[in-house]
Amino acid sequence: MEFGTSGVLSEDGIHVDMDRLKKGEVNLGTSIMAVTFKDGVILGADSRTTTGAYIANRVTDKLTQVHDTIWCCRSGSAADTQAVADIVQYQLGLYHMVNGRPPTTQIAAAVFQEIAYANKDRLTAGLIIAGWDARHGGQVYNIPLGGSLHKQPYSIGGSGSTYIYGYCDANWKEGMEEAEAVAFVKEALKEAIKWDGSSGGVIRMVVLTEKGADRHLYLPDSDYKVRHQ
Amino acid sequence: MPGFDFSNYNRNAALHARGVPLPKATSTGTTIVGCIYDGGVVIAADTRATSGPIVADKNCEKLHFIAPNIWCAGAGTAADTEFTTALISSQLELHSLSTGRKPRVVTCMTMLKQHLFRYQGHIGAYLVVAGVDPTGTHLFTVHAHGSTDKLPYVTMGSGSLAAMSVFETQWKPQLNKEEAMKLCSQAIEAGIWNDLGSGSNVDLAVITPEKTTLHRGFVKPNERTQKLKSYKFKRGTTAVLNEKVIKKEEMGNYISVVELAEETPASGDKMEVDT
Amino acid sequence: MTSIGTGYDLANSIFSPDGRNFQVEYAMKAVENGSTSIGIRCKDGIVLAAEKVITSKLLKQGANKRIATVDRHLGIVYSGMIPDGRHFVDRARDEARGWRDNYKTPISTKDLAGRMGGYMQAYTLYQSVRPFGITAIIGGYDSELDTPVEGEVGSGPSVGAGGKVEGKKHGGPFLYMVEPSGLYWGYYGAATGKGRQAAKAELEKLDLSSDGESSLTLEQAVKEAARIIYVAHDDNKDKEFELEMTWISGADGPTKGRHQEVPEALRKEAEKYAERMTAKDIEEEEETKEGGDKMEE
Repeated sequence: MEFGTSGVLSEDGIHVDMDRLKKGEVNLGTSIMAVTFKDGVILGADSRTTTGAYIANRVTDKLTQVHDTIWCCRSGSAADTQAVADIVQYQLGLYHMVNGRPPTTQIAAAVFQEIAYANKDRLTAGLIIAGWDARHGGQVYNIPLGGSLHKQPYSIGGSGSTYIYGYCDANWKEGMEEAEAVAFVKEALKEAIKWDGSSGGVIRMVVLTEKGADRHLYLPDSDYKVRHQ
Repeated sequence: MPGFDFSNYNRNAALHARGVPLPKATSTGTTIVGCIYDGGVVIAADTRATSGPIVADKNCEKLHFIAPNIWCAGAGTAADTEFTTALISSQLELHSLSTGRKPRVVTCMTMLKQHLFRYQGHIGAYLVVAGVDPTGTHLFTVHAHGSTDKLPYVTMGSGSLAAMSVFETQWKPQLNKEEAMKLCSQAIEAGIWNDLGSGSNVDLAVITPEKTTLHRGFVKPNERTQKLKSYKFKRGTTAVLNEKVIKKEEMGNYISVVELAEETPASGDKMEVDT
Repeated sequence: MTSIGTGYDLANSIFSPDGRNFQVEYAMKAVENGSTSIGIRCKDGIVLAAEKVITSKLLKQGANKRIATVDRHLGIVYSGMIPDGRHFVDRARDEARGWRDNYKTPISTKDLAGRMGGYMQAYTLYQSVRPFGITAIIGGYDSELDTPVEGEVGSGPSVGAGGKVEGKKHGGPFLYMVEPSGLYWGYYGAATGKGRQAAKAELEKLDLSSDGESSLTLEQAVKEAARIIYVAHDDNKDKEFELEMTWISGADGPTKGRHQEVPEALRKEAEKYAERMTAKDIEEEEETKEGGDKMEE
């Protein structure tokens, strides 16, 4: 491995690298969000993956399934978030088999948080966990960089989220209808993509309700107007 | 203990801080690509290996065997791509033997990403993983830090930008085999011509459910031709200023010579053969 | 040395030719000689009760508890070899703690019963160990409310989470009994130890399985539990005993979902009720003996 230019060796010989991402690491400069609505929860994300200035994948799927109706939005290091999601997916699958009932969103959030917090020094992972279960309905949990856990009515994350705090605060309502919530997520992500250079590509969504998981895809070709999937 | 020894890493860091330039690992400036078509998948690579500014090998192999139906194209640190693919190939074969099933591309990809993630990017292997298994045709990229992507066409290495420009302008859904081979080869050529780290020939592999065909030197656009002139020096070009001849008998004057006994062999024991 | 026997009873992990594990059966004998324990699951909670035979005047009253708290909402009572029960409870606490560490939420009664059943069963498999000399009754109240992830910050929307499936009940009181073989079942009423037969007969008379008007309330269950322990002690009249009782209600009940000792006042009241009822039973019995037809065997 080559050394990053930001490496500093202090007098006591301790090598300090302030860069969170190692050189050449794949980054999810990202806009992600999840919102609760009347019948459940919706996850949304852009699709841009970068290595430095290069777009390594322009149609990335940052919405990752960890159980039937529990999903997560990944931001930060692609490698770290994929590894964490893989571990959680395994744990929740095991939980379902051993205990004979599907895990709740709380269980998923707890497993995610334990990994994020225990490895906080080694991980660059900003995660939003969203899930639907019969007992609790749709829920959103946010796990930012340090590994804390926040239950929220809706959550936004990634570099692009900074541009849409105002939009979301002004436009989010409790108990929206599905179509209304889909439109809200889409408009918010369109703004994030517009203003954030590290976000772009298509808009992906997953709607989680009693009926299961429903995927949405919107392409920039049609200004994100037409649903393709 | 098997595995890696990172003790030199700290030494290098300390030396680096005192202004000593870091030792260079042999890195392959590379163009590798892959593309799915109707009925299979094609991967391709250039054949240049570099060591700093020097072309270390003009015709190296960057397409690595994993299983008969799964192949890898490697970029990054040459030794790491070579050994990582060999290791995973071995583990995958044992896995296949113990499960009694054909190896799968996702299995290979998962083993690679978990191995690379464990080493946090210190293993500098950037790979395109392609293959056909009972579940279908698959194409992945795996980065050194352990992230993976699944796409219909992919490029990696220093020439990936040049190669991607070819895919982004020429690619269309529903390619046939010949079209996919041509597209991949053109993408590699884009790397060969426009990327300093890539060069020489195009290696290409086609994987179908029936068989894998490796085209070593699929295109050779850099064949060495006959030199226009001869650069041999004529005998006597260098002037002889003086001359001295030493005979064998006089060697003892300059070096010590020990005569060996006839029976004793020069070195080592006699080889014994079980009968 | 008199007889060597068949040899099939000398170790765990050896079956007799007719498919029995004698070591496990001997363990059950140890339980049958232990003092009585019962558990009642009624519509709004759990009652655990134990008969503690006083073996010495030197023993301090109210000390040496036989009912243990495993987690906030979980209790265990056991009959048989007390030290084995102590270890069993230790393990149950580890399991409950482990679940909380992993999932940041309390373990359900069912899951704990499953884990402990598995643990008991493992002690019937190996030469190097003997089965547990206890039968344990596990009682718990799984919260019917939404349980947060321990350590989470904030809450969801003030209207609550959307998309809940309405009309489904979650949580509630649960009772399990684990035997030395590792066998465990869920019960409305469970009894083990010396007086189990009499106790079971009494438990069967209670309405525990319905949710209707006639079904037992938690406070009634406390009184009945006391009475049943008294009834079960009847065969053993000459020995004095102490009554130990714990209970668990839902979040809106008297213990707020926790496993707690029954308050002294209520326990005294229950004991009075138990004494009164058992005395009446004896009178009735004697009356029938005098006035009624002679019973023949």
